[in-house]
Amino acid sequence: MADKTLPKTDVVIIGGGWTGLTTAYELAHEGRKCVILERGDHRHDATSFGAPEEHDELKYGLRYTHMMNVRENTLTFRNSRGDRALPMRRLGSFLPGEGLGGAGIHWNGQLWRPLPSDLEMRSHYDNRYGSDFIPDDLSVQDWGVTYDELEPHLDFFERICGAAGTAGNLDGEQREGGNIFEGPRSNEYPNPAMKQPVSSTLFGRAAQEMDLHPFPFPSANVTKAYENPYGAQLHPCTYCGFCERFGCGYFAKADPIICVYDRIKEHENFEIRFKSTVLRVEKSEDGKTATGVTYVDADGREIFQPADIVCMNAYALWNVHLMLVSGLGTPYDPETRTGTVGRNYSYQTISAVDAFLEKDIVTNPFMGAGALGMVVDDYNGDNFDHSDLGFVGGGYIACKQYHGRPISYQPVPDGTPSWGAEWKRAVRENYLHHADFVIHGSSMSTPENFLDLDPTWTDQHGRPLLRMTFNFPENDRKMAKYVTERAVEIAENMDHVTSVSATNLAAEGEDYSVVPYQTTHNVGGAVIGTDPSTSVVNRYGQMWDHHNVFVFGACLFPQNLGYNPTGPLMGLAYWTLEHLKNDYLENPRPLMDA
Amino acid sequence: MTMTRTKYFALAASLLAATAGLAPIVLNAQSTETEEPGVLESRLDDERTLFAATVEDAPDDDLLELGRLVAMGGAENGGSGMACITCHGGQGAGDGAGSFPRLTGQAAWYTYKQLNDYASGARPNDIMTGIAQRLTEHEREAVAAYYAVVRAPIPQPLGAADQGELQWGGQLAAVGSAEKGIPACVNCHGPQGTGNPPSVPYLAGQYANYMTYQLQLWKEGVRDNDAMNVMSSIAKKMTREDMEAVSEYYNRVHNPVTTGN
Repeated sequence: MADKTLPKTDVVIIGGGWTGLTTAYELAHEGRKCVILERGDHRHDATSFGAPEEHDELKYGLRYTHMMNVRENTLTFRNSRGDRALPMRRLGSFLPGEGLGGAGIHWNGQLWRPLPSDLEMRSHYDNRYGSDFIPDDLSVQDWGVTYDELEPHLDFFERICGAAGTAGNLDGEQREGGNIFEGPRSNEYPNPAMKQPVSSTLFGRAAQEMDLHPFPFPSANVTKAYENPYGAQLHPCTYCGFCERFGCGYFAKADPIICVYDRIKEHENFEIRFKSTVLRVEKSEDGKTATGVTYVDADGREIFQPADIVCMNAYALWNVHLMLVSGLGTPYDPETRTGTVGRNYSYQTISAVDAFLEKDIVTNPFMGAGALGMVVDDYNGDNFDHSDLGFVGGGYIACKQYHGRPISYQPVPDGTPSWGAEWKRAVRENYLHHADFVIHGSSMSTPENFLDLDPTWTDQHGRPLLRMTFNFPENDRKMAKYVTERAVEIAENMDHVTSVSATNLAAEGEDYSVVPYQTTHNVGGAVIGTDPSTSVVNRYGQMWDHHNVFVFGACLFPQNLGYNPTGPLMGLAYWTLEHLKNDYLENPRPLMDA
Repeated sequence: MTMTRTKYFALAASLLAATAGLAPIVLNAQSTETEEPGVLESRLDDERTLFAATVEDAPDDDLLELGRLVAMGGAENGGSGMACITCHGGQGAGDGAGSFPRLTGQAAWYTYKQLNDYASGARPNDIMTGIAQRLTEHEREAVAAYYAVVRAPIPQPLGAADQGELQWGGQLAAVGSAEKGIPACVNCHGPQGTGNPPSVPYLAGQYANYMTYQLQLWKEGVRDNDAMNVMSSIAKKMTREDMEAVSEYYNRVHNPVTTGN
């Protein structure tokens, strides 16, 4: 029983990141009183993220000071059902955020759209290659919402961010210099693409010679003074090289604080409570609706906040955890393959290629930005013929220049000792002469990769920890191998290259590990769809089982795209909010028949 | 103080080789339009300057000697019309009137770029435009290098200032303003206003009237020539009082690296 029950609010929002603040902005302007519960603290770009203090690589880049504290919240991990899961006691493979802005303050700003075929993945592959093509051990499914439906919302979020890029498909017309594979856009990017450094220029040229289609990284590192539709004023990026893992004190990387929070914080219908950890969503007696949430406030008291609408805007993993501990929906059971909450967790398949350059080619890697580089998308999604390849999905290949930070950026060719004088010499010789590739691949869902509650370990509030069971599916290993080989070909075709090496984190025979950093793109577990037996929410982001609970974020993805998730998940968020505002508020009910 | 300098010539040549033949399809990739490799001036508008500058050579004595002569009014085209030292002093001390900034110890690339921008009109100024136009490109380089290596003390005393104003100026410098959306100066100009050579000038010890006036010019759009193109959007969010406060503050920041004493 809660220590205190507060007066009812119209909407309670769990989490103060991109989707939570946006939900509050949109619903507050509809005249609904919104309360955000954020487990972390207040912070602001001007006062919290300014250089030179922010450019403390050890503090933020290695000790993860902006991220969630795993001493307070964590999960347990195992590779397969036969293993015993253990708590993750240090951050590694992924870095969930905490505090105002959530993980949205420490992203790189790589702002993608899904391919139209990505959103209808099962039907697309069935139609093109036959219904036997998708391997049986994959639980790939359609999203239930199409690219054309999401396009206005993807477009709007690009304008919220002041995105910089070059359109490759404007209203159906392909345009060279952009991503010709992308779905039709209704508008150009609001800002011109970033300036390109030396390494990615060489990459672009090599890719072009190979008849591939290089284009500049779509970027939320803003390139011009810009005012977004909410009135936020962003400044041009200075290429300081401190995006990922850092906040931006320059007002140049779009983030939820400057783009959304500053524009809603004074609104009469807006309230945010910090240091407020939601313990569970409470249900009505008949179980059909939620009545509000119970949270622990900064003083350790349990508070019940009643609400007409509950919006779940926590990080993907914690949304699923909250559903499981609150008894929302039906938990997924891998034995029977029934239930949906926790089903279809997937990740991202990351590999890297290093190209070392002749000594008179100077790359100055310290002059970087989170979404700086050139990309080819020829091997992403179904942009290439999969007939004889034996896998589905793909990834983009980018030659990027994120940063040249002294502790983490030490490129050395294959064969260099891992320490000692030889290693130091190699770092000195190669630091300024290196091209850095990432291969950012899709991740297919399987019945054996899932999230559930751990039977052994509990958190500080006595709740079972979330348990992650994950390994790379065979499909994704084949995909990663294939696309990494294509990346190596581009590297070898670049001028001035002296040697090339590759690292594939999803190589054959290697289990997925939570220890080395890969990417903070944990997706699925509460997926969107049109069939209640395979999805937690309907195509509007509304829970099938509890119609006044709306779910946001990458937990909705039925399998992961070859792209970074922020663009797609914000497109979904605006899609959900459109239907919430225009169809649900005046007449609360299930928006789809189960 | 030792002075470092961008080794432009070899670099421009090697990069031209690196990017030659890059078709325009790679939008925003580096321009291949450098007609004459080895022309220092061409580097200013070339994005490669940002991504591929190398700091290698100390300037040679001949360059510094030429710079000193230019500062004193000697130049190939019969002089600059007015010797630098007339207003900025032989050691680059300038004065506090507001028109004549300190040049001493300023990054040479920064000063060189300003001379080019004066000459081209990118930084319009009735006095400096004519002077810069009469200097050859090599003379601009030389005089910029000269003022980068000389030293001049900060004139004392600095005069009384309102403590509340200094407090506000220091706050803008250190953490900016979340309310107004102003990023802190230290983001780019470094701790204690040291600057971030070659493109970001130092502020510590610079004259308050000069800095206030420059911020006003950025706000009005008269000056819009900073390398990273950020100053106009910052200045537009500042009131006259903000500008004066932060300028008075930086004028008083003691920093051995830039104030020379």
